[in-house]
Amino acid sequence: MSLGSGVLQRRFPFGLRWLGAGLWRLEHAFERARASGRAEDDARIRIFFVMALFSLGFVALAIGATQAALFADAARGGAAGWISPQARADIVDRHGRLLAADLPHYGLYIDPSEVWDVAATRVALRAALPSVDHERLERALTGDRRTFLTGGMTPVERAAIHRLGLPGITFEPEQKRVYPLNNTAAHLIGFADTGGQGLAGAELALNDEIRNLAGAGGEVALSIDLRVQGALEDELRKAALTYGPRGAVGIVANVHTGELLGVASYPDFDPNNPGSASPEARLNRAASAVFEMGSTFKAFTVAVGLDAGVATMASTFDAREPYKLGYRTIHDYHASRKILTLVEVFQHSSNIGTAKLAVGVGPERLSRYFTDLGLTTAAAIELKESASPLTPKVWNEDAVASTSFGHGMNVSPLALTRAMLPLLNGGKLVPLTIHKREPGFRPPAKQVLSETTSAQMLQIMRANVTGGSGGKADAPGLSVGGKTGTGEKYDPEIRRYNGKRQVSSFAAVFPSDGPLENDRYFVLILLDEPHGTPETFGYSTGGWVAAPATGALIARIAPFLGVSRHVGPMENQPRLASIQTPAAGGDL
Amino acid sequence: MSVFTRRVRGFRLIDVVALGLLVLLIMSVYLAKTMASRERAQIARVEREISSETARIRLLEAEVAHLEQPSRIERLSTAYLEMAPVTVDQETTPDTLAIVALPKVSRP
Repeated sequence: MSLGSGVLQRRFPFGLRWLGAGLWRLEHAFERARASGRAEDDARIRIFFVMALFSLGFVALAIGATQAALFADAARGGAAGWISPQARADIVDRHGRLLAADLPHYGLYIDPSEVWDVAATRVALRAALPSVDHERLERALTGDRRTFLTGGMTPVERAAIHRLGLPGITFEPEQKRVYPLNNTAAHLIGFADTGGQGLAGAELALNDEIRNLAGAGGEVALSIDLRVQGALEDELRKAALTYGPRGAVGIVANVHTGELLGVASYPDFDPNNPGSASPEARLNRAASAVFEMGSTFKAFTVAVGLDAGVATMASTFDAREPYKLGYRTIHDYHASRKILTLVEVFQHSSNIGTAKLAVGVGPERLSRYFTDLGLTTAAAIELKESASPLTPKVWNEDAVASTSFGHGMNVSPLALTRAMLPLLNGGKLVPLTIHKREPGFRPPAKQVLSETTSAQMLQIMRANVTGGSGGKADAPGLSVGGKTGTGEKYDPEIRRYNGKRQVSSFAAVFPSDGPLENDRYFVLILLDEPHGTPETFGYSTGGWVAAPATGALIARIAPFLGVSRHVGPMENQPRLASIQTPAAGGDL
Repeated sequence: MSVFTRRVRGFRLIDVVALGLLVLLIMSVYLAKTMASRERAQIARVEREISSETARIRLLEAEVAHLEQPSRIERLSTAYLEMAPVTVDQETTPDTLAIVALPKVSRP
């Protein structure tokens, strides 16, 4: 016994030793019962022991079975929460309004072996599903196996077929990406394929995020405000119908956060059926097209001139004669033939004055500033469609003069927007985004201009609306500032710039008054090859065709953005009256 | 007389008790399974209803979004209600409401 105990202690763990000892004692009890002449007790104890073990086992099985029956839902819950591999999260605007969603649809299947009357089924399905190809229907009806006939049926369509009571017709649920707003914000939202992969716009740019959030039941909030987007598209459409351009672009952005509050490209398309739209309609002109912007670039040149210390607000420029630079002569579109202050150069959109300022800045500094402003690279934004600019191969004086007033350099409207923001937000180059940001969020940004330059640019842009070429963009009480732009397009047929094919735009900011850190918004309206009307006296320049649309748009969206009007005796007073008087300054 | 030898109507008491326990266990398992399957069917039905209602809600939300398209609202409000975007002279602030309420006086 002691030897046995010693071996047990050495070789086996405590539990086994305890069990062994128990059995040992039980066996001794049997032996004792036999020794005391109660052999029948020995058998009974053994029977009792075996029955007890069986009962124990049965109780264990019962508990297990009950538990499996009652709590099997946990496993079933996992199956119910199964997410389709094609699933995509909802896309909503910044206020939670639905822009894109996966909705239940149905696929229709035909099992020929269960079809009683092929002829009657054929007639009924042709009437109910006129879009289905007849040959396809015939193959499904006469085939030898269950065949998929058509998909993407709405519950209403499914119910209509179901009511026909046709044997052999079955439905299987499937998810379909739906864009309930049709053409609204189509280029920004983009579209996805039936496999759940984003192909354009936010659907492509935020593809991973949208797919990951589908499992969690989340939604992706875009930066756009549907009310702003609606007004933007409406004003752009009205301008497009009036002036008949080849295309048009509208952008509204928050200058501090870089959020795009509205992006419109005309013509547009229905993302529910992108295949039926022409490539022209699907083209996102805000991101994918590049234009020679014309005079809106003068805002950059003037800002660079101020920031580099080459000019002050009081500097004057001699625009009495065309400016000869190398082999070329630069003329003014609105020839004033006088000495202009810097503000007047901006207000009259003087090519001569701007070119002289740019030459004063010099090729190296101007190209460096343009690079810092992001004009030499594709606009930094999530959209994959963001196009790279066409920039001068060599930054010489000729290139400097051309680019100073927006020629010889093609950028996308989004790139122009991004570069404009530092002029209006205190000099910070904030990245554009289609993601909603929290109120008060300020993205990390590189300081590319001084705050003083930015404040001066706001004043100059306001002066251009109160007393310059941007007068038609004014919206009472909203202190609109801005710059017109009219760039002639290069015509390959005549191998030179064609004065009849223009890109007319207006780049605006509102409100232009108040401290730099105040909420402020940038608006761009651009028309590609507009046509003048009798009302515009045949002109199709930015000031005539884009500025009025910009003013009307700003008047509509200001309440949505919380910008209140300040209508009073001081409204529309020229803020720069004191500095518009020519004073001491370099005559460049 | 021990519990193992006591008899009731010829049957050992221990056997009767064991059989009773066995029947009780079988009945309890049967009842548990039956009730559980009924509950499970009910849960499945409610889950199907929730799923169906959720799908309907999503469809209705999409329908609402479709019907509330800005361009559609604008078109309808212009066509049937003769509404137009608010102009500056139609706006006021709480501070100037009193002035708006004053009777208009013709100025010389």
